[in-house]
Amino acid sequence: MDDKGWSVKAGSLLPLLLLVSDLLLCQGVASLPICPTGAVNCQVSLRDLFDRAVILSHYIHNLSSEMFNEFDRRYAQGRGFITKAINSCHTSSLSTPEDKEQAQQIHHEDLLNLILRVLRSWNDPLYHLVTEVRGMEEAPDSILSRAIEIEEQNRRLLEGMEKIVGQVHPGVRENEVYSVWSGLPSLQMADEDSRLFAFYNLLHCLRRDSHKIDNYLKLLKCRIVYDSNC
Amino acid sequence: MKESVASTVVFLLLLFLNTGLLNGQSPPGKPVISKCRSPEKETFTCWWKPGEDGGLPTNYTLTYHKEGETTTHECPDYITSGPNSCYFNKKHTSIWTMYIITINATNQMGSSSSDPRYVDVTYIVEPDPPVNLTLELKQPEDKKTYLWMKWYPPTLVDVRSGWLTLQYEIRLKPEKATEWETHFAGQQTQFKILSLYPGQKYLVQVRCKPDHGFWSEWSPESSIQIPNDVTMKDTIVWIFVAVLSAVICLIMVAAVALKGHSMVTCILPPVPGPKIKGFDTHLLEKGKSEELLSALGCQDFPPISDCEDLLVEFLEVDDSEDQQLMPTHSKEHPGQDNKPTSLDPDSDSGRGSCDSPSLLSKKCEEARANPSTFNTPEGIEKPENPQTKVTRSQDAQSARLEGKIPYFPADGSKSSTWPLPQPPSQHSPRSSYHNIADMCKLALGVTGTSAILLDKTDTQALRSSKTTKTGGEEKAAEQKEVESFHSKTDQGTAWLLPQEKTPFISVKPLDYVEIHKVNKDGALSLLPKQKENSHQTEKSGTCEGSKEYAKVSRVMDNNILVLVQDPRAQNLATFEEPAKEAPPSLQQNPAREDLASFSSAPSSCGLQLGNTTKYGKCTLLENAGECG
Repeated sequence: MDDKGWSVKAGSLLPLLLLVSDLLLCQGVASLPICPTGAVNCQVSLRDLFDRAVILSHYIHNLSSEMFNEFDRRYAQGRGFITKAINSCHTSSLSTPEDKEQAQQIHHEDLLNLILRVLRSWNDPLYHLVTEVRGMEEAPDSILSRAIEIEEQNRRLLEGMEKIVGQVHPGVRENEVYSVWSGLPSLQMADEDSRLFAFYNLLHCLRRDSHKIDNYLKLLKCRIVYDSNC
Repeated sequence: MKESVASTVVFLLLLFLNTGLLNGQSPPGKPVISKCRSPEKETFTCWWKPGEDGGLPTNYTLTYHKEGETTTHECPDYITSGPNSCYFNKKHTSIWTMYIITINATNQMGSSSSDPRYVDVTYIVEPDPPVNLTLELKQPEDKKTYLWMKWYPPTLVDVRSGWLTLQYEIRLKPEKATEWETHFAGQQTQFKILSLYPGQKYLVQVRCKPDHGFWSEWSPESSIQIPNDVTMKDTIVWIFVAVLSAVICLIMVAAVALKGHSMVTCILPPVPGPKIKGFDTHLLEKGKSEELLSALGCQDFPPISDCEDLLVEFLEVDDSEDQQLMPTHSKEHPGQDNKPTSLDPDSDSGRGSCDSPSLLSKKCEEARANPSTFNTPEGIEKPENPQTKVTRSQDAQSARLEGKIPYFPADGSKSSTWPLPQPPSQHSPRSSYHNIADMCKLALGVTGTSAILLDKTDTQALRSSKTTKTGGEEKAAEQKEVESFHSKTDQGTAWLLPQEKTPFISVKPLDYVEIHKVNKDGALSLLPKQKENSHQTEKSGTCEGSKEYAKVSRVMDNNILVLVQDPRAQNLATFEEPAKEAPPSLQQNPAREDLASFSSAPSSCGLQLGNTTKYGKCTLLENAGECG
């Protein structure tokens, strides 16, 4: 297990490097140390928070997309999983905007909350995903390393988003609402086909939701930071 | 029954289809959805490929239903995107939603449907290429010229709101080049190119990509002409420099070609070798050291063997004479006949020749004792000398002179020429040796004139002693002359060396003689000088006074020859004179002077010159170290 952990760590460095380089190229953002929790006079600008959040969300979606493609190529060919993965995401109950107009019409506070909900909804599934992928018989390292990386980055993004929310409209603390994921039994099914479909479905939904988050954040950044003039 | 009905129906259908096929008509083939794309993630379009139409007009419809919905919709727009396409506008486009699209082909014969295609607009975004690509050549002062390009995102894409984030890429190449030079530009909509080839026309293109989508097509080419860097002024300057350097090179080549050697010698001068003035290396190679050294100005070196022989022999003789004379000297009073005691038994023949009576006055004396022996001509050789010596030793006086006689080699082969009267200083030592030999010969044969010659000899050689000599002391005069010679040269002194070494006992003090005449025989007729001495007066007579000195007994210092009177012409008594006035120039020990050697010589008073002139002169000169 330790060897796998090291390999995962090594494998996770590459996407991290890609993310960092990509984000640096994109926006030329110098990484700034986030304020340690509890610091009183620490003020990180909203701009830097959003830049950091966007970098993370972008990175997470890239990892998710790669992971899905890898899985689809390897395990889901000819099984018709896509036909079954319709309306099967656990976060579909969350009313998220479906197009640009809808997204632009949502108030940025609501949108931020929505992002938080989605991020929170994925904490549990990501954790189990890692656990279950490790347990797969011939689990490829590429999928496993990415899963591990996504889980970690997602946690960090959540923290960043909570900071942003604290700056955007502080004081109002929403009840932590999120969608509960109940797909764990599916991941543990004995039937290989069912289990694989469960993984497929999970990865499919992960890819979608990570894209949503990334898109929403970029919208918010341009709207809040650059006053809709990116 | 049912089975038969079913089979009948199938049969009929097949028949109908076959009938249709026979007629060339068939239901349409299965269309295929080829591509669905969204340019801005707000709308999207799907294109399909129709299948075989079956020979009949076929109608294609696109139907779709969305994820989470159950209703099926048909394509809202078949036109906008061209034939066999379906354009979904914003209203009909939902993001993060799965579209299940199906194409239906329908013709008279039938219809067919394509496989459903699952489309999520999120992942089919492919924007249009950027627009308005502008190129500008910027030339800031003191900086290099660079190409600056600017473009705009595709019109449909909403970047401002952040709905889409685009990344750009540009590429350029010279017009004639084959490969493009690609540069990633990031999210910026402008770019600078620095490395450009002047004088070239460049083509530039740009494309973009959404954050999670596909790359767009390349924009249409934009071209720009890069001007030349080199100005006319620079070109002229370089041409001038090139021509100038070519001319200089030609000049240098010509100079080297014409004066190659002299230039080489100028740059690399030859190393000088050692040179000594008058030194000819060729002589050195041949081994002729004499010529070589003569060229160097070194004369009379090494000395001729003659002189060496003379010197050596003379030295030898003197030593023996002294030994013999020692006992006799003490006994007898000077004035007796000279004895040729000086003759060394080992002496060589040279003495004999010198002892020839014709030559020396001393021989006259000797002839008395042993006339035969001493009167012999110059042929007298060594063998006789010992005898004479022995005989003379008894006299112990006259012999002294002989001992002092310089060695004259018997043979006259050496040095044939009689030196002319010249200052003795001019004569080389070498020639002096020769002259001695000559004198011996000449003394024997020269007639008359020799005396005159002797008179005429340079006063330097004879000094004043000649004129002051009295008759009685021929020896003294000669001795003085001899001595005068000796004073001139060291070599003469060398001869007298034995005299100096050995205590030569002179019986009689020296006296001076005056040369009276030279007889035909060449004998020197000497007259004793008039002196205070009473003895001298006795000899004043010419006949009486004149003694014949045909022999030089010895040579004394200061170049004075001591002559020995010819025994024939001598009157013994005349010679028995006490010590005459010693020549003032005489520096010798009186004991050494053996005037007794001037023993009275018999017979004639006349001088027998013989070779006297030569003799006298030679001796004088020799004493001087030079023969004239």
